[in-house]
Amino acid sequence: MARAIMGDGVTKITQDNLEEALQQAIEIEIATIPVYLSTYYSINRTPDQKELIKGFTKRLIDKGETKQNAATKALALSAKIMVFANRAGANIMSVVVEEMLHMSLSSNVKQSLFGNPELVGKSPSIWPAYLAGHEPEFPINRAKLSIEQLETFKKIESPVPIDANLRFTSAIPYFTIGDFYQGIEDCIRDHFCCKDNYHPDRPQLVPNRGYYAQNNIDTIYYDKQHKPVYENAADAGGLIHVVDQASALKALKTVVDQGEGKNVTDPFDDDSCHELSHYYKFALLQEELKDIKRQFQKEFGCEFDVENHFIHDFADNAETQDYPVTIQAVSTLTNAMYAYLFIMSQACYHAEEHTQFEIFMFGIHKSMLWILSSLCGEMTGLKYLGSDGQQYTATATFEEYQFSSASSPKSQIIELFNQAVGVNDGIAYLGQRIHDLPNVSIEGFLERSNTPLMA
Amino acid sequence: MSKVFDKSLSNGCGSSNGCGNSNSCSSQPVNKKVPNIVTPLELHACMGLNACRGHDRFGTNTCAGTGYCATQTHVCHTLNNCAGQGGCGLFGDAAEQSKPGSNDCSWQGSCATPIQAERFSTLGENKNKSVWLLARALFEQRMDKSRRNVADAPFPAGPPQAWLESFGEYDSCGNSGDKSCSFGFNSPAQNTQELIDRSRDNASKQPEYDCKLNDD
Repeated sequence: MARAIMGDGVTKITQDNLEEALQQAIEIEIATIPVYLSTYYSINRTPDQKELIKGFTKRLIDKGETKQNAATKALALSAKIMVFANRAGANIMSVVVEEMLHMSLSSNVKQSLFGNPELVGKSPSIWPAYLAGHEPEFPINRAKLSIEQLETFKKIESPVPIDANLRFTSAIPYFTIGDFYQGIEDCIRDHFCCKDNYHPDRPQLVPNRGYYAQNNIDTIYYDKQHKPVYENAADAGGLIHVVDQASALKALKTVVDQGEGKNVTDPFDDDSCHELSHYYKFALLQEELKDIKRQFQKEFGCEFDVENHFIHDFADNAETQDYPVTIQAVSTLTNAMYAYLFIMSQACYHAEEHTQFEIFMFGIHKSMLWILSSLCGEMTGLKYLGSDGQQYTATATFEEYQFSSASSPKSQIIELFNQAVGVNDGIAYLGQRIHDLPNVSIEGFLERSNTPLMA
Repeated sequence: MSKVFDKSLSNGCGSSNGCGNSNSCSSQPVNKKVPNIVTPLELHACMGLNACRGHDRFGTNTCAGTGYCATQTHVCHTLNNCAGQGGCGLFGDAAEQSKPGSNDCSWQGSCATPIQAERFSTLGENKNKSVWLLARALFEQRMDKSRRNVADAPFPAGPPQAWLESFGEYDSCGNSGDKSCSFGFNSPAQNTQELIDRSRDNASKQPEYDCKLNDD
């Protein structure tokens, strides 16, 4: 079966399996989100520069530098860290917002052609995770920023095959995500040209409603002169309403251009050549990380670890059960918020216009930008002892949270919040905003609800 | 030329030991006490954006447009509770970022208030330009349509972050660090002055902003 689909190395998608392929594409995009987010939250984007200068000055004086020279060099070294840490954060966040766009674009295509894009329960539940269908399979960890983690990111976004040998897989196989999308595009081009194939009346996440923004304050960083630098470009693509073959192909092309690049030799994914594709973003960041490590080791010795000055010591693939009870409550709440994000996202594909807007703007944006982000940030302030006896920093685990059918997800989240704030009152400020969330039922998207979403 | 009050150069960003409170800001309202007034305050997003006399946080302004500070605060995208309370420039698409302080409804504001002088838009026609100056321009348009007179704001380019921090903790959202800061190789005031200058340089070229503005 796998060889029949990839006999010549290119994934062949047919009319018979296109729906399956589009759903698989959605799940591939979803799988990258917790991976990239985990690494993003391992970065302290704003280290304490005064402390850096103080430490480096002392080290340099101990090496024999004069106080004046030590102070000057320490300032320069600290600035390197300040710029790089923020740049690393902006780099990864700029990819995260586009992966969410990709999830929406592939969902829009499936919605238009077949309906019912499935988002709930599709985030990886076992770690290390694997991209469905990717040949060869390789482990994907929720882990802190490192050269190795960036190597994994490059594999995810690679524009060329890592290894062209086929193995058995239950999903539709592919060597690169770009090739997989190419198969989908070819199938649509060959077999879905008629406008009647498309159903634009079905709800989609469409442009010009505020659902997507290429840049935000977290996709920028400041250079040495503290001037803002934007990772993403405004002309790098956005949401597309899929109404016909042309718009479907454009949506899929946007995913590939932003992820793997327009072609193997072109690193930019926008017409103005301001935005790198994800692969090249990660490749550049990896080289810069290597470079800053070399610089500091050259200055302070090969044992010097610059990374611990701006990277939290997360354990790989941490789970809630690894944490002490006090942190478990916060972790469980975080996972519930993460799961609710997908419940709301899926509901958007079944909601009429105004309801969709409320769900997205007041639920998804609020959950992602404020509540979930705040929880992820709060967790980096919590320490615990791992089973190996080492001290680690807690992080969001992005585990699947199963809501009970006995009550609404929102009411369960409120209960989880009450439990979490009981052991960690530092998150009390989130309470009102959790109460403000729209009340989307697990099955609310299956039938029209007479209950207002908002208070 | 507008002047931004300088703050002593700090070698830190985004931490309590970094760009903290500044002692260089000397322009403060005489009476900081919040008045006990019966009339409900207009809820607006920042200094210089009040539509009525007496409607700023301190209740001491003498005319529309001269208020010292916002009468409501919030810290992130979609968290404003009413129309006209959204900040701008940090999150949201180009259309949202085109109308700071002029959002149509609750929870549709683009980001935190008050809007510090150093804040810049991240998308749209106002990208990399002053959010407060845009908000003020929209405010003046609104006042003009209402045939109202307005006077100058206490700070002509918006309240400096250091001035806001002198009243206590100030948070304007995001993880990329303070807008007004130095890694040791720049003057925050000069950077902000450049922001203001390029914003004003383009002001005469800007079309009138409206709700139809979309992604650029």
